[in-house]
Amino acid sequence: MTALLRYQAALLAGSHRWLPPTICYLAFLAIGVQTGGPILDAYGWAAAPLLPLTVWLTRICLTNEPSAARHCAAAAAGPGRVHLAAVLTATLAAGLLALAGAAFVALLSDPHSSDHRVAVPVLPATLAGLLTALACVLLGTAVGALCNRPVLRGTASAVPAGLAAALLLLVLGASPANAAVSGLVTGSAHGTVTVPWLPLAATLLIAAAAVAAACALSARRG
Amino acid sequence: MRLDGVGRRYGVRGPWVLRDIRLDLPGQALLRVEGTNGSGKSTLLRLCAGIDRPTTGRITGRPRTAYVPERFPAAMPFTAVGYLTHLGRVHGLSGPAAARGAAEWLERFGAAGHAKTPLSDLSKGTSQKVAVAQALLAAPGLLVLDEAWTGLDAAAREVLDRAVAERVADGGTVVFVDHDPRRLAGAADARYRVVDGGLRAEAEGPAPDSGNATDPQLTVEAEGGPGRPAGPPGVPGAELPGRPRIAAGPDGTVRLTVAAAHSDALLRALLTARPPWHIRSVTSAAHSVGAPPAAHPEGFPPPADGLRSGPPGSAGSGHSEEVPLS
Repeated sequence: MTALLRYQAALLAGSHRWLPPTICYLAFLAIGVQTGGPILDAYGWAAAPLLPLTVWLTRICLTNEPSAARHCAAAAAGPGRVHLAAVLTATLAAGLLALAGAAFVALLSDPHSSDHRVAVPVLPATLAGLLTALACVLLGTAVGALCNRPVLRGTASAVPAGLAAALLLLVLGASPANAAVSGLVTGSAHGTVTVPWLPLAATLLIAAAAVAAACALSARRG
Repeated sequence: MRLDGVGRRYGVRGPWVLRDIRLDLPGQALLRVEGTNGSGKSTLLRLCAGIDRPTTGRITGRPRTAYVPERFPAAMPFTAVGYLTHLGRVHGLSGPAAARGAAEWLERFGAAGHAKTPLSDLSKGTSQKVAVAQALLAAPGLLVLDEAWTGLDAAAREVLDRAVAERVADGGTVVFVDHDPRRLAGAADARYRVVDGGLRAEAEGPAPDSGNATDPQLTVEAEGGPGRPAGPPGVPGAELPGRPRIAAGPDGTVRLTVAAAHSDALLRALLTARPPWHIRSVTSAAHSVGAPPAAHPEGFPPPADGLRSGPPGSAGSGHSEEVPLS
């Protein structure tokens, strides 16, 4: 598995297809995170876009390898493991974006509530921000795994489905990503830090189930 | 490895490409799969390689597998040696071993000069060499070749022939499809034809239209050392690479005639046998598969019979008495 991850990571890094999502994310941060802004709002702002960006990165990793090369790797390691390695590479790349975003917020934001009157402890706020980002990344991984090969194989169905699912999961109140982000934003009003343990556990389960289903299917449908 | 009632169709309602395939893939065997275009050969090979899972039935006992696709248009951001090193690691080699193997195989295929060339800049033939090297560098137990020879130059095709012979001699199983009926003619242990989604075993040996193959043949003259029973050589528990025709030569030697592609593997088997054989000479033999070499025309056993049946010395008809048993 380490060898496969290394191979997929080198494939992603060398293809430079990680650049557009990274630039998008940095632009988003530059627009939304202001120097001296309230820290919890900023963490919420930094976490939310990671959901659609992870869907994008998953699509990149799953379409990066020509099918002939994929077959060679699949014969050596099994198609399920090859698929898992591609999805995990995307998750790890999104995790790096999340770390960069959290560092950006921690450096620039003001550790106070929205009205700048209640002090917010930086470390718990950063923990909550990172875990919210992780919840968004995991939910994005689940959407990416279900809205790409082998589940949806045509570009015409995969891209709109992935985009729509990502946006709905950000907006709908029932979504764990939405719950985690709004926990941060509402907490910011009073300076209370809400660590999103429950949403994180939910996204972890959803992502594990979705990725396992996609990997199991990858041997059947190529 | 064994295929048990294997069927495959694409899509829930798609037509059956393959149906109820039963096939045993023994170790140390070379299997040829034939069939018309679109008959399901490639599907069968992908199932064997584990890239596809059968819709029905099951496949058990697959060893470590490598696969060579027919076309390898690898638009990937790697150099040839970089890609091979990654794949070597995926095959389970350590990093340094993978890099070493990558360099060695590129060298063998005459592509060492392209080791540092990006894959996207390689010609079709050279990328095919990379695809073949990827499969060979980890010495897999099962090697699946889907028209792997396509696009290779003559020298590289010969190297691949030899590499296949080596894999089989080392106890591996090789399954291949090739449109050239003379490809590894006479060396395949079994031939199967995919017809109407089923698998039909064909007569062993060369394909029917390969009878006049003019593949170069080599004759190895070998001598058993003291304490070794001479006669059709008993390499322990195994049959010899390339299934040579065996005849007695002068002075208690044995002559083994084999397709040139298998000569290296045969020599290696003879030299590494315990006790080893002494090689007297290696000469190019009269070609033409099927007819015995001109040097000993007395009707020696047809290919492989001498090895497949009975103890050493018992199989020959004419000359076996003349082979001294020391």
